[in-house]
Amino acid sequence: MRDEFATLEGDAIPERLRLIADPPGRLWIRGVLPDGPMVAVVGTRKATRYGLNLAMSMSRAIATAGWVVVSGLARGVDGSAHRGCHQGGGKGVAVLGSGVDVWYPREHEQLGMSLVESGGAVVSEYEPGTTPEPWRFPARNRIISGLSSVVVVVEAAEKGGALITARLAAEQGREVFAVPGDVDRNTSLGCNLLIRDGALPVLGPQDLIEALSLVLGPPAPPGKPSAEMSLEIPQTGANLERVIELNGGDTASVLIELGRLESSGLVKIDSDQVFPA
Amino acid sequence: MFAETTSAAMVGAEPRAVRVEAHVGEAKDSFKLTGLPDTAVREAKERVRAAVASSSMKFPNRRITVNLAPADLPKAGSDYDLPIALGVLGAAGLIPSRRMVASGELALDGSVRRSRSSLGAAILSARMGVPCLVAEEAAPETLSVQGAEIWPVRSLSEAVALAHGAPPREVRASGRGPIDDPPDLADVRGHPLARRALEVAAAGGHHLFMHGPPGSGKTMLAKRLPGLLPPMTDAEALTAACVWAAGGRSRGVDFVPPIRAPHHTASLAALVGGGTGVIVPGELSLASGGVLFLDELGEFPVRTLDALRQPLEDGTVSLARRGLSVTFPADVLLVAASNPCPCGFAGDRLQSCHCLPAAVARYRRRISGPLLDRFDIRVPVRRLSADELDSEPGEATAAVAVRVADARTVQHGRGIINRHLGRSELDDLSMTEDAKVLLRKAVERAGLTARGFDRVRRVGRTLADLDGVETVDERHVAEALALRGSW
Repeated sequence: MRDEFATLEGDAIPERLRLIADPPGRLWIRGVLPDGPMVAVVGTRKATRYGLNLAMSMSRAIATAGWVVVSGLARGVDGSAHRGCHQGGGKGVAVLGSGVDVWYPREHEQLGMSLVESGGAVVSEYEPGTTPEPWRFPARNRIISGLSSVVVVVEAAEKGGALITARLAAEQGREVFAVPGDVDRNTSLGCNLLIRDGALPVLGPQDLIEALSLVLGPPAPPGKPSAEMSLEIPQTGANLERVIELNGGDTASVLIELGRLESSGLVKIDSDQVFPA
Repeated sequence: MFAETTSAAMVGAEPRAVRVEAHVGEAKDSFKLTGLPDTAVREAKERVRAAVASSSMKFPNRRITVNLAPADLPKAGSDYDLPIALGVLGAAGLIPSRRMVASGELALDGSVRRSRSSLGAAILSARMGVPCLVAEEAAPETLSVQGAEIWPVRSLSEAVALAHGAPPREVRASGRGPIDDPPDLADVRGHPLARRALEVAAAGGHHLFMHGPPGSGKTMLAKRLPGLLPPMTDAEALTAACVWAAGGRSRGVDFVPPIRAPHHTASLAALVGGGTGVIVPGELSLASGGVLFLDELGEFPVRTLDALRQPLEDGTVSLARRGLSVTFPADVLLVAASNPCPCGFAGDRLQSCHCLPAAVARYRRRISGPLLDRFDIRVPVRRLSADELDSEPGEATAAVAVRVADARTVQHGRGIINRHLGRSELDDLSMTEDAKVLLRKAVERAGLTARGFDRVRRVGRTLADLDGVETVDERHVAEALALRGSW
């Protein structure tokens, strides 16, 4: 059974990861580890809708810029990060705290497989068949930060895996970015503490791409400009009525155009929000 | 020693003639009432006795029998006081017997009060071609009955005088005339999407679902819908008034379609109708011909919402109690509103949402798929910014109502309003080729479901009607796709 999956050993392990204090000796892998700079997008499992949307739009922006999104395939921010990457047409890597054939949480199996199918990879230092145990996740986090050049913390409470990843990243000499939040909100406390301790605050997908460009070099030019996109819709998505406003205000014509774009799969409408797909 | 008057019982929204037969025998003092009277009807004996005495007449202290026929129809309420009094007096030979319909409650001092079957009595009297005696306070609302000869009375003595041939008094359309104009769309600032949704919903009669944070204006918008709908015809207004009368309410003479907004704690009977004894219409029927607004749709008990489904489909609601089955109209345009999440602020730009996604998902699941499918149009409503609150007022109701009326005229020509278009009619819809291509694309790329497919075609039909064109084109389908929303 363990023969079914390839492994990376020695020089096959990316150099960045090999040079951390306690590199994994061997990595099990499904799919192919993509080339190019990697950016970790992490955060709490108990994310709010705000955090989920943000993780999604940030990852989409990273993927659109041609960089690789790394995360942990957990519930909450991790899941949205992978989804955003997928939406942006990018390649992503999920680092698991279990064997590469053990999906945790179960409902993320499809998400994990979509990473593999779209040219990314699911990796783990644990043998196939290894069950997820709480103590394995902090160790897994050092691989997430180890693979990445930059770690972006989207939404995090004071304690939790995301903060561990950020601390490990700092120890490994990685850049840590964090999204600021309300000072009185528990779910933002972790991010705000990181910023106080020196993490770079990022204020949205656009800001993130600019900050990443300084670290990783200019983003790849967009492969296929969305020539068919006939409406102005912010990358982060916008309220339906805001979109009507942004596009000149004639309700019926904007709705007609939205209907066309949606049926062509160029925009997604979720409740009150419109996103470029 | 026998006399007969006619009165009315409301069976559903239909008036049914009740013959009030009175017999006065020679024997000793007694007063018997037969014909399935309820307690209120039985108490008529005491009111009639006192009212007759108060009207300076001697109550015949003999053997009195009053029968309300048909004997198997349950009679309820105080409506029969006046006809019983007239019958007894007629049978005792104190007043000449005259063919007439009467309905009214008697006070002990002999004055006549409003009764719930006044309107029904007026309708029956018009059919029978005889005069109709009702309380003066109930007379104005009977004016809408074509061909009825209304004799308003303030007291039993006046009724007696009329029986003796005195001239009836004039009906004055005083008191509650047409009610205030409905709220106007011109007061609404911003909300371009909701405005469009209201116009399309009114034009095709489509059920409308609005979601947005508290205070975003969902209720305010819904209240403006009746003003956009075509005014009711005489017949429609009369039917609505009858339904209201059956519920013991007066609607006056009002051609603006009704809007009812029951709270989510309302009982099942309050919503769809029922009750013990007399079967009264629920909010669903009181709103018939107009708008039923359910705010906080997810807070309504599932049982209640399920009970709405069939009547919404049929346009009528049938209620059965004690072997009597009645049907009320239930042809409503359903408008529902919901917060987007338990805290109410998901997607709001001013206040952030603190709900966990699982809680949001649970909240949204409370509104079942089959129910959600009834709403052809679903739009988000957002809170206005200070700038928008200061912005120019929008188009007024009157301007939009003209376009709605034109679109409705086209639909009347086809004999069906677009809300009621079923799958077979939709399959025959006249549609351009590129409209069909767009629909197919929506199914393939945007995950449009079979029911969604029908909803888009229905709304597309309405958009074409608003444009005044026969064939649904690609623009109509595209806009319908955007208006179907996602929730």
